[in-house]
Amino acid sequence: MTNQQFCGRTRREFLWEMGSGFGGVALTGLLSADGFFNRAAAAPQTKFLNPLAPKKGHFDGKARSVIFIFCYGGPSHVDTFDYKPDLYPLDGKTITVKTFGRGGHKNEGRVVGPKWQFRRYGQCGKWVSDLFPHLATCVDDVAFIHSLYAESPIHGSAMLMMNSGRLLSGHPALGSWVNYGLGSANEDLPGFVVMLDKTGGPISGPKNWSSGYMPAAYQGVVIRAAGTPIHDLDLPPGVTREAQRELLDRLREKNEEHLAERKDNSELSARIASYELAFKMQRHAPEAVDFVRESPETLQLYGITEKRTEDFGRKCLLARRLVERGVRFIQVYSGGAHNDDNWDAHSDIVKNHTKHAGDTDKPIAGLLKDLKRRGLLDSTLVVWGGEFGRQPTAEYAQGTGRDHNAYGFTMWLAGGGIKGGTSVGATDELGSAAVEDRFHVKNLHATILQQMGLDPNRLSYFYGGLDQKLVGVEGAEPIRKIIA
Amino acid sequence: MTRSLRTATAVAGLALLGLLVRADDKKLAPEQKFSPEEVAFFEKEVRPLLQANCVKCHGGAKVRGALRLTTRDGVLKGGDNGPAAVPGKPAESLLVGAVKYDPNVLPPRVEGMPPKGKLPDKDIETLTKWVQMGLPWTPGKSEIVQEEPKSGVVTEESKNYWCYKPVKRPDVPAVNNKDWVRNPIDAFLLAKVEAKALTPVVPAGRVALARRAYYDLTGLPPTPEQVDAFVNDPSAGAWEKLIDKLLDSPQYGEKWGRHWLDVVRFAETNGYERDGPKPFAWRFRDYVIKSFNDDKPYDQFVREQLAGDEMPGYNPDAVIATGFYRLGLWDDEPADGQQARFDELDDFVTTTGQGFLAMTTNCARCHDHKRDPIPQADYYRLLAFFSDVQRFDLNPDTRSAIALTDISPPEARAVYEGDLKKREARKADLTSTMKKIEDEAIKKMPAEDQRAAEGPDRPQVLRKIRRFLSAEQAGEYAKLKQELELLKKVPEPPNRTLALSVNHCPLNPPDTFVMVRGSPRNPGAKVEPGFPTVLGFPPPTIPKPERGAKSSGRRTALANWIASKDNPLTARVFVNRLWQHHFGRGIVPTPNDFGKLGEAPTHPELLDYLADEFMKGEWRVKRMHKLIMTSAAYQMSVMADEKGLKLDPANMLFWRFNMRRLTAEEVRDSILAASGRLNLKAGGPSVFPKIPREVLQGQSMPGNGWGNSPPDEAARRSVYVHVKRSLLVPILSQHDQADTDSSCPVRYTTTVPTQALGMLNGEFSNEQAGAFAERLRKELPDDLAAQVRRAIRLTTGRQPADNEVHKDVTFIKDMQTKHSLTEEAALKQYCLLALNTNEFIYLD
Repeated sequence: MTNQQFCGRTRREFLWEMGSGFGGVALTGLLSADGFFNRAAAAPQTKFLNPLAPKKGHFDGKARSVIFIFCYGGPSHVDTFDYKPDLYPLDGKTITVKTFGRGGHKNEGRVVGPKWQFRRYGQCGKWVSDLFPHLATCVDDVAFIHSLYAESPIHGSAMLMMNSGRLLSGHPALGSWVNYGLGSANEDLPGFVVMLDKTGGPISGPKNWSSGYMPAAYQGVVIRAAGTPIHDLDLPPGVTREAQRELLDRLREKNEEHLAERKDNSELSARIASYELAFKMQRHAPEAVDFVRESPETLQLYGITEKRTEDFGRKCLLARRLVERGVRFIQVYSGGAHNDDNWDAHSDIVKNHTKHAGDTDKPIAGLLKDLKRRGLLDSTLVVWGGEFGRQPTAEYAQGTGRDHNAYGFTMWLAGGGIKGGTSVGATDELGSAAVEDRFHVKNLHATILQQMGLDPNRLSYFYGGLDQKLVGVEGAEPIRKIIA
Repeated sequence: MTRSLRTATAVAGLALLGLLVRADDKKLAPEQKFSPEEVAFFEKEVRPLLQANCVKCHGGAKVRGALRLTTRDGVLKGGDNGPAAVPGKPAESLLVGAVKYDPNVLPPRVEGMPPKGKLPDKDIETLTKWVQMGLPWTPGKSEIVQEEPKSGVVTEESKNYWCYKPVKRPDVPAVNNKDWVRNPIDAFLLAKVEAKALTPVVPAGRVALARRAYYDLTGLPPTPEQVDAFVNDPSAGAWEKLIDKLLDSPQYGEKWGRHWLDVVRFAETNGYERDGPKPFAWRFRDYVIKSFNDDKPYDQFVREQLAGDEMPGYNPDAVIATGFYRLGLWDDEPADGQQARFDELDDFVTTTGQGFLAMTTNCARCHDHKRDPIPQADYYRLLAFFSDVQRFDLNPDTRSAIALTDISPPEARAVYEGDLKKREARKADLTSTMKKIEDEAIKKMPAEDQRAAEGPDRPQVLRKIRRFLSAEQAGEYAKLKQELELLKKVPEPPNRTLALSVNHCPLNPPDTFVMVRGSPRNPGAKVEPGFPTVLGFPPPTIPKPERGAKSSGRRTALANWIASKDNPLTARVFVNRLWQHHFGRGIVPTPNDFGKLGEAPTHPELLDYLADEFMKGEWRVKRMHKLIMTSAAYQMSVMADEKGLKLDPANMLFWRFNMRRLTAEEVRDSILAASGRLNLKAGGPSVFPKIPREVLQGQSMPGNGWGNSPPDEAARRSVYVHVKRSLLVPILSQHDQADTDSSCPVRYTTTVPTQALGMLNGEFSNEQAGAFAERLRKELPDDLAAQVRRAIRLTTGRQPADNEVHKDVTFIKDMQTKHSLTEEAALKQYCLLALNTNEFIYLD
């Protein structure tokens, strides 16, 4: 989809409208379906240029929603899904290997052997480390990409690359692109939501879900899996919902009077409508985080009944509930803040990864199983991975910490038309760099857009004199080998 | 494949197709005879139309809908939807229906043609006539060859593009309704309005005018008293008096400075992982505000920002202005240092190109520009001007810093530099006295230590000096050492003033090369600093820097060229921005891009008139505001009439005034003004309004880099709010404040439910609603109706109607009786309501 087709207007008209504002798509139908206008004596011509109104993609995508489980900090591939039997015996030996991490470029290093045993699982016989005993039972639904590479081994820029395709800040996040391309299927909820780790956001915070040069309407909205899900959703203290309704009624009256002489200005009517949508959102959004109707068995499946996995389990369950409600792009962070609060295992890989894998393994497996049994997995693309992987060698003279590695790392996808039980690409025998079927982060992005029904090489947004694309001007192909 | 090779293949392919079509055509229709007049009509009128609008998709390599409009027979044969035209029968011809955008003729799923927009009526008539005439076509030379679009190459034709031609003062057009015209602006607008048989709408009411003037010039609402003063001033000069007063107010610079800060991507932090502060970035903001308030000529403003450091004499403002180069993103640990350096230079080229010249030179970083005549070498020629600006860093030592300059007054500097000299002299004294004592002691040491002391290991040897000193010597040595240590810690000189700027630029910057495909590691041909070729200026003469010069002098050459009256773009680009912020849309609606990817000017003559006027007035900005605002056009009402809406719904001709939403800053400032909490203190380091905890939670270190200003400081104008790239104040970000990662030409106006949530339930609006209610109770105790009246006046400027007051009072009472709110709480809810009205947020 190019801007030429955006809302049926030309790019230039669109730019002009976004810049200076004329309205557009009538939402009267949607609103009246809710019964709202039945109350008003005369249904006014309320139009709302909803930038998030549902749009058709370039073709029918297999996936309708994406759940991106972002393991911020960079999980070690050789300790999780990239089995390197030759690496164990090298433990402690100093070898020649080119690495580039936080500590700069190095030509040799002390090997840290993988700290977990690997076993084979599923019909596909996939090797998975003991860090993920639950997830391992889902491998027949999962496609592993072992040969991803990124352009930076530094968190700040690497996070931007994984989230927006560029090392430079100021570009829209993947979720913003999906939102821009497809709109939101549910007007009571934002189309692109982000769940943060309990320790805090990732570095650069909101830049990771920013809409960059696109309008702010496409940016990610932080949503919480407990309490008030969305900022400013709660009524101010001392105000009841009925009182607010009364306020909104009088506000509407005043706004309609103001509108009477300015009927041609659809921005004014859009703003009137936005208050009604906000009021509806207040009613419907909290219901999404209310798990009271979920069976005890489901809660157990996600690990919500266990202290250790409760937090992430709630997020995974909320992710499924948001998928059911038509939210397009859900990003769930595992890990936040700094140091060992995330997967950034610089000093002790065992301690770090035991914690983060242990907190998330059961919830993620629960999510995959739950999506599958509800028939949602086919239309939900689940993505797992971090901004990069980790080195096969130690970072310091002592300890088992590994530095960052952007030369090669593993991510996996499941559902949404992805071929389960497959593995593509490979790193070298040490896991230090992708050597076979190498895939840039852009290929991953292209795959996600493709599965959502968006042509990655056509989805563009005109800005700064260029038709900007998530996959860059050179474009990128989806990873066809993992597409069913 | 190289460009020429690809072109060759395409042409070959085209020729082959052409042959095939022609062979095929023979069977379809025999050659038809047309009169010379008919052929001339086709050649002169029709062929250019088809060439320009149709054959890109219906000819050449791409053929949409299997329809080829390059030959007559192609038209007759048609495509997927049948013949494109029936000779002599326009009503039955798809082509005619398509260009008319006629839904009754168009088959399902076929859009009006061309899809980018309907052709002018004249052209549609031409095509209709052509079909009516039976599709005359030149015999023999029949095929329309689709020319490869020439891009990125400067040709004589490309130089003729409107914005590359010199500004020419146009004649003021004649109009019918002369009475309406107050100054030439009106004549330029009215001529086009009349040509469309429209009439300008009535003048705006006095209250609307007062609000318009206050917001446009100061970004703040007028108080009810200020509205009354204007409304009740019957003198003929009341409007001019108001404009003068507002242009003189310090709030003028705060409003218009903010517009400029958008253009130069102003932010006070570096972005990325740490998003650390840029020291003294606020001085740049104050410099911009002061420049507008002082009515600094725009050419000087340009020179200072691009090359203020190269100006002679003590000129602290000019040095601060070069903070222009330091406002962008900076990754303190880039994965690829060379790439990061070129990204930084790209930021300069982009911001300068778009900000001052509205040229998207940045598109030529990796290859020739796709649409504009900007070859890749032009990009690197422009980049070469900046090559003496060293990569940003945080070195705080002004003796070597590259992003900080000491701009203390020379007298103050003389004092502490004299002091520094004295310190250095004393340090030398101390060191030599100590050395004497040390040398004596070393002589008493074992031989190997004596030898070691001659080399780099002397400090190690000196560690055991005590044993070899007399008690008296030891005492003296310790004393000397202590004094020396103290002197080494240079204290921060008092009253020292530092500026974020460029500094320590090399006199002979490294060579610049065209980077093949934009790769920082793939240098091609060497280039010298130079201006965009299409503008046809001779290469700059850059004098060899004199001894003791502070930089290469390259940027002065660039600045002088941009700030020259001969530059066809500079004045046009700036007056367009002035127009944009007064009328809601630029004469060129894409203010950062005057090229082919941008929008064409709606009123090119008016743009030239304003540009010429601007330069004639020696680039003074306030004069231009007054010229614009005293036009009849600026004083029109926003109310539409039916005819206007029908013929020009987007108001491209300015037959009425455009309503606008307040900017993010105006929304916040207006709420503070209504609540009475607004603190108009100007200038200085930025302030930190409270950000809700939930929002801070998104940071990796919640609260990091966000200060805690006391309430009165937190209530200062939004232009003084700290601009942190990775953390935005909700009320500002919800209302589309500028994105700071690159130049922002036009603010978006988005309307989403989360905005309404913030305004209804957010901490800021609720706190201010409380303050607003408190203000009303204090100003008008125990008189609810008066409080309501006052609230309406404070938020809209106008006098409320009685029944409106009555209804609002009823609302407040209902909140108490039906919803058990206290009197105070009910009034607060009413104040919140008032702050949420469209009338408060939108300007007439």
